[in-house]
Amino acid sequence: MKTLRFIAMRLLQALPVLLGVSIITFTLMAATPGDPVRLLVGDRATPETIAAIRDRYGLDEPILVQYFTYLKNLVQGDLGASLRYRVPVSQLISQHYPVTLFLVLYTIFLTLPPVIALAVWSARRPNGIADQAIRLLGVLGLAVPVFWLALLFARFFGVTLGWFPVSGYGEGFGEHILHLFLPALSTMIWVVPILVRTLRSALLDEMNRDYVLTGLSKGLGERQVFRTHVFPNSVLPTLNLFAVIVAYLLGGSVIVETVYAVPGMGKLMVDSILARDYFVVQGATLVFALTTILVMLAVDLVSAVIDPRVKP
Amino acid sequence: MKSKGTTLTAAALMLFGTSLSAQDVIRIASPNKVTTLDPIASAAAGNIEAFGQLYARLLRKDRDGQLQPGLAESWDVSEDGLTYTFELRDAKFSDGSEITAEDVAFSLNRVAKDEGSAYPAAYAPVKEFTAVDEDTVQLTLEYPSAPMLSYMEIFNAGIVSKDDLEERGEEAFASDPVTSGPFMVESWKPNDRLTLSANPNYWREGYPRLDGADLIEVSDDNARSTMIMAGEIDVNRGVPWAQIEEINGSGKAKVVLEPSTVVYGVMPNHDKPPFDNLNIRKAAAMALNREAITKAVTLGNATVANSTLPNALKFHDESVSPPAYDPEGARALLEEEDAVGTEVTLMITPSAEQIATLLKAQWDAVGFKTTVERVDAGLWWSKLTDGDYQVTSSWWYNETEDPDLAARWAVCGACGNRSYYTNYNNERVNELTEAALRERDEQKRGEMYAEIQKISTEELAQIPLYYSPFANGYATNVKGLTLTPSLQWTLEEAELADE
Repeated sequence: MKTLRFIAMRLLQALPVLLGVSIITFTLMAATPGDPVRLLVGDRATPETIAAIRDRYGLDEPILVQYFTYLKNLVQGDLGASLRYRVPVSQLISQHYPVTLFLVLYTIFLTLPPVIALAVWSARRPNGIADQAIRLLGVLGLAVPVFWLALLFARFFGVTLGWFPVSGYGEGFGEHILHLFLPALSTMIWVVPILVRTLRSALLDEMNRDYVLTGLSKGLGERQVFRTHVFPNSVLPTLNLFAVIVAYLLGGSVIVETVYAVPGMGKLMVDSILARDYFVVQGATLVFALTTILVMLAVDLVSAVIDPRVKP
Repeated sequence: MKSKGTTLTAAALMLFGTSLSAQDVIRIASPNKVTTLDPIASAAAGNIEAFGQLYARLLRKDRDGQLQPGLAESWDVSEDGLTYTFELRDAKFSDGSEITAEDVAFSLNRVAKDEGSAYPAAYAPVKEFTAVDEDTVQLTLEYPSAPMLSYMEIFNAGIVSKDDLEERGEEAFASDPVTSGPFMVESWKPNDRLTLSANPNYWREGYPRLDGADLIEVSDDNARSTMIMAGEIDVNRGVPWAQIEEINGSGKAKVVLEPSTVVYGVMPNHDKPPFDNLNIRKAAAMALNREAITKAVTLGNATVANSTLPNALKFHDESVSPPAYDPEGARALLEEEDAVGTEVTLMITPSAEQIATLLKAQWDAVGFKTTVERVDAGLWWSKLTDGDYQVTSSWWYNETEDPDLAARWAVCGACGNRSYYTNYNNERVNELTEAALRERDEQKRGEMYAEIQKISTEELAQIPLYYSPFANGYATNVKGLTLTPSLQWTLEEAELADE
């Protein structure tokens, strides 16, 4: 019951956040110079045509009026229509969002096993050979630009070896897995080192705690202490960082989506910003914000499960 | 054992993608977006490329660029050049309904007169299109227009179904239209791909030869190159010069340089100092080694431009030329104008980065002080149309090989867009543009366009840099596919050969 109330409160708190996000995005887009209509009709349109279309979309209204119209529609569950494609924003989002979500989940799925394995391995013998090697690889992984790595992967695994598709999303679960493997792998290489470092230092911190000594002196095996005490206690800080990274991955999918021609939210967002497709940018930002809020909420709930001291 | 193997193979096929099963569907990846399927609503490249597949026009062009009967079986032009009568053939829309004279008149009046028509320039002389009877359409003009017939072939002259558009409304039509061209819409995922399937009711028997086509939008040049080398697409629209060799070397595809009407140039703002001064424009032109720029940017794949109008157009005049490369002369001109050290701001979009570097180096070498201002396409257009720039670099193309639209677009100051928003305005050029449209004697027209080119090149309406061909990559099994200078894929005649 307490948990339910906590969730309800958090969702309620999300409303002003979303409102704030929408105001900021709207203001930023309105303040960005550039004309969506010109980009819409192509370069040869006459000024009369452009004026007519501007009028049709209400783009000649004062900015405040435009915002309140937008807000009114939003409250009714209407995200508006894309200026460029003349289709509902919700349709564009429902077309692109699952792709990015799949990619993010896939990345997480690929990320977790190596993070845990490598962190535990390097924490077991701090400054040992394995630890040093993992650290070096981590620095490399962080230092290599994602787009460059993605490009190399695409050329090598896609063109030279022909193992994986280098573009698109495919139809059906099996194809999704195959098509998004390289994008997920490219992203993973950047995420893993960050999480390994965090988890490693948390593990080391915990291993030096008094309770470990107590456990060992009571005759518990090293493995058991590690599994039942050290590890769960170390996961929390990593989990929080992980939430931030997931939120970042959602927004930061732009690069891998571009290199691998994946039709996801990153592509939609960038294209819409470039085309000044105001309502799509608005809608996509709101969806990103909402997702971030939900991920944070989920992390808090999971934290409470892992560590009862963390109260929801 | 055998059945197990088959099952495994089938499973592998299911898992490992569509490329094995969809061989009669051609996959074209282009950086240009399809944003609407309504042929009058946009004149952006991606849409133009799609409209041609969806809508048949009264006339069509053959491989040699000659006008051929399209939906119109025959036509007749009156003595005074003011009335055109088209006889329609029996043809059907993709939903099986007849294409009538009523549909044709409706479609073409819409292009010419609708306020939402994105590119009505070609149809300015049109008084009206009328359906005389079921199979006859008459076009009446306010004044003669020599290239009018060729305008019955361009991208926005596609015939749409009047009933479909009126019944379902413009919005629904613009995303899922009944079509008259070789293909119809199977599905459209905006911002991703347009999937076409063959229109079984298309009037040309035996065409299209393909079952369908996927027009996939891929903005990243590298991604498209990787895709064609990995065999995931059949056509790569727009191969960057630097990647031609790699693609050719892959053995999977070949890059073909196809004639286009594209011209790259430097656009000075004639309304703002210092480029309102002809001597300064001359100095800017003389400072540029255009041969070297062309070679450096296009790796020798383009031709140095000699005129303000593209060389693929009719009546192109080889004899005109902008001032030759002469840095000392440029410096002298600047000194004469007391303009050494003049600060100029060159506004560019990311695609012109390379050109901008060369322009800046060569201008600065003769005494300009150039600042490069980088903006995105949205801002570029709004600053350009507001005249809020000193000089920029850009490119443009023409949909027909008749120079009328090109002259109107690029050098006519009284034709609505102030000479591509450069504010270049020469009375004589304006007069000639109108006179050449009305003139029906080919030789006289040729002389008029020669004079237009001479004046506008001498006055440096724009500083022409190079005429660029299209560089498209085609997988080795693609046959019969080209991109015409008017941005139309010849998809209806294309085939995918078995390999």
